[in-house]
Amino acid sequence: MRHKTSFLDKLFVASNYIFFILMGVITIFPFLNLIAKSMSSEAAVISGQVNLLPVDLQFGTYSYVISDKLFQSAFMNSVIVTLVGTLLSLMMTSLAAYPLSKPRLRGRKIFVLMFVFTMLFSGGLIPTYLLIRELGLINELPVLFLPGMISVFNMLVIKSYFETIPDALEESAKIDGASNFRTFLQVVLPLSLPVLATIALFYAVGFWNDFFSAMIYINSPDLKPLQLYLKELLASANNVFLNMEMIDIDRAMNVSPQAIQAASIIVATIPILLVYPFLQKYFVKGVMLGSVKG
Amino acid sequence: MKKTITLLMLIAVMIVSACSGSGNGGKTNNNKESAAPTNNTAATNAPQPTEDVLAGDKPQLRQLQPFDRFDPNSYITAKFLEEKTGYKTTYEMLPEELPNEKLNLLMANQEKYDIMRLSKEQFFTLAEAGALEPLNDLIDKYGANLKAGIKETTWAAASVDEKIYAIPQGGTGIYAGTTLVVRQDWMEELSLEVPTNKDELYEVLKTIKAKKNVIPLTGQLSVMPEIAAMFGITSNSWIEMDGKLVHQAEHPRMKEYLAFMNKLYSEGLIDSEWPINTGSVAIERFTSGQAAMMSLAWWSAPAVVNALNRNFPDANYLVIPGLKDEQGNSPIGVNTGISYFMAIPKWSTNKEHAMNYMNVKLEEELFKELVIGQEGVHHKVEDGKYFPILPKFDEELNNASFFLTGVDESVYSTYWQARVRKDPILFNYFEELQRLAEGRFVIDPMSNAPPIASVSENSQKLSKFSNDTYLQFIAGTASLDTFDSYLAQWKADGGEAMTKDANEWFSTTK
Repeated sequence: MRHKTSFLDKLFVASNYIFFILMGVITIFPFLNLIAKSMSSEAAVISGQVNLLPVDLQFGTYSYVISDKLFQSAFMNSVIVTLVGTLLSLMMTSLAAYPLSKPRLRGRKIFVLMFVFTMLFSGGLIPTYLLIRELGLINELPVLFLPGMISVFNMLVIKSYFETIPDALEESAKIDGASNFRTFLQVVLPLSLPVLATIALFYAVGFWNDFFSAMIYINSPDLKPLQLYLKELLASANNVFLNMEMIDIDRAMNVSPQAIQAASIIVATIPILLVYPFLQKYFVKGVMLGSVKG
Repeated sequence: MKKTITLLMLIAVMIVSACSGSGNGGKTNNNKESAAPTNNTAATNAPQPTEDVLAGDKPQLRQLQPFDRFDPNSYITAKFLEEKTGYKTTYEMLPEELPNEKLNLLMANQEKYDIMRLSKEQFFTLAEAGALEPLNDLIDKYGANLKAGIKETTWAAASVDEKIYAIPQGGTGIYAGTTLVVRQDWMEELSLEVPTNKDELYEVLKTIKAKKNVIPLTGQLSVMPEIAAMFGITSNSWIEMDGKLVHQAEHPRMKEYLAFMNKLYSEGLIDSEWPINTGSVAIERFTSGQAAMMSLAWWSAPAVVNALNRNFPDANYLVIPGLKDEQGNSPIGVNTGISYFMAIPKWSTNKEHAMNYMNVKLEEELFKELVIGQEGVHHKVEDGKYFPILPKFDEELNNASFFLTGVDESVYSTYWQARVRKDPILFNYFEELQRLAEGRFVIDPMSNAPPIASVSENSQKLSKFSNDTYLQFIAGTASLDTFDSYLAQWKADGGEAMTKDANEWFSTTK
């Protein structure tokens, strides 16, 4: 059914559009500026000539960034950590969520409470570091996805989604002779694709953007992930000059030009941006589902 | 923020508990080796014949380095060193952010590094905590080249109570870093003379402001060395006055300097965004023609000059020689201090090899090749000066300084200058700067001071406090009438204690 739109309605819609277009422009402006900078000559960049369009167009910065060995290893590390980490996390999280979604599990409340407890309290950084060290994970790539494999929040989201799946479906599977595991794999999981896609995206973005655990646990330059590489690239360009009294002139001469910094940011951001469009259709559905009951 | 503080406190507790056993031992028996807290053999320095310790297979060494932006393990210098010395070294780096905290974490866990390249601050902290091996005996036995190449005063900086705790890596020499540059075309257009003191500077800035309507002088530092020099103030933290050490904050003319800067600021003669500027903003203003004058460091010269020429092909810069105070002096503060300290942690299992390795790296031929490569391949000699051969030098030696563990001070500075001769703009500007700076250097008397607890604790905190307050005075958000209460605060927060301890040390050096 269509309502007749009044003038006020039209005004409301129009101002909505204008507002959101403006918001969009504000969000995308820094990004465009960065792209323009990455394709401009260093002379134009440092003298502030570059706004939205490149000046003295060049692509040397990109080939420089991509041919940097440290960038290549950082990129590969991030891809591995994100792929393996997301897969493992998704597996373990849904495996934990499934039994907890069943009321007939004895002591369910206690188990849930134990999970939630870790959301609120943790051992603290030093004990965690000691634990990781005792596990022999220091300076190993798996340290970037193993300790954070299950996020309790995500687990609870999946659990409450599982709870919305009618028992009757599972019962019918049981009657057909399916085991618990087969029910989970062939009935529950296919029905939960929206929430799984959403959680996968959460995990993937989380793993891709994580630099903190790498900063704490990784010492070898070739094991660093991309975000840490990026952070260090940008921070070092500034920090070299912080203490003018004891400046390390060898490092001062080697500071990366701004155009190269910009190119690095772009190359590091694009891959995860590309994931969004593919998962977006699930994403919208996933967030909605589970919010309305009954 | 809260997280960081908690982290720091925890780390402090950890390191104290981890090192306390050894630290006490080291203090009570001065000449004996205290037992290392780990399970390694305590008798490392027992009188064994040299051959026994170094004989057999050379172990793999682990070296902890400060942050840099390349992979040292695959860098050509690492392979070169392995080939020449026979030691395979794996390099690990501290992170760019919170390196000291990470270092403390590693030390609390007694990570088995054999060599650690430490900054001054890190070295002081670890030496105080008793985490470092005293090196006197090792140097006597295995460090002949180090002994010969490093000066007595340099060693002193790495010693506490007669014990050497690190191989100090001397600097690259004494150089002036920056000077004021001004747009030559505008100076000629307005027929202005190069200023030499503060009245002339004021007139020049005023004329530029009136005629060109640009920012006459851009910058960002609270104590701008070129201007502060006209008040006898340098960028050094400490100065000697009447036989006593005085901190920069207590310089008798500091208030005068701030008043002058405040006058320039309120009349619009310096950048209105001075307090929030960064170095790159200053460069942007100057190269885009929004500002007429800036302080240019030689390492930024190529980028700045190229950008200026791109935007204004007819423009050129003019170097302003040091502005002078009433007596005609124009001091430049320099710190002859040690940039890096090579320490061996108490729990290293390869102490003798580590020392031997650092010693071998200082052998004449090896050291030269390490720093500037082979003659005819990486560098050439003209008039006794070393020039790089490009692009080979850049490709294979750009990060070579990272691998140094102590330098032969008699030759290093000569070698190092090859790095400056990579680019004609850089080279010319550098040479001109040094020519103008001749005879104007004032060495920070605390350059080679040993670790003094109150100084290392307070310096950073107080200098941030001072800088923030100075910027407020310059911008006029705080009145200079409150200068005395600021200084009282500075003293109360550790400035007084720090000055007292520094002077105590200073009186022993005479």
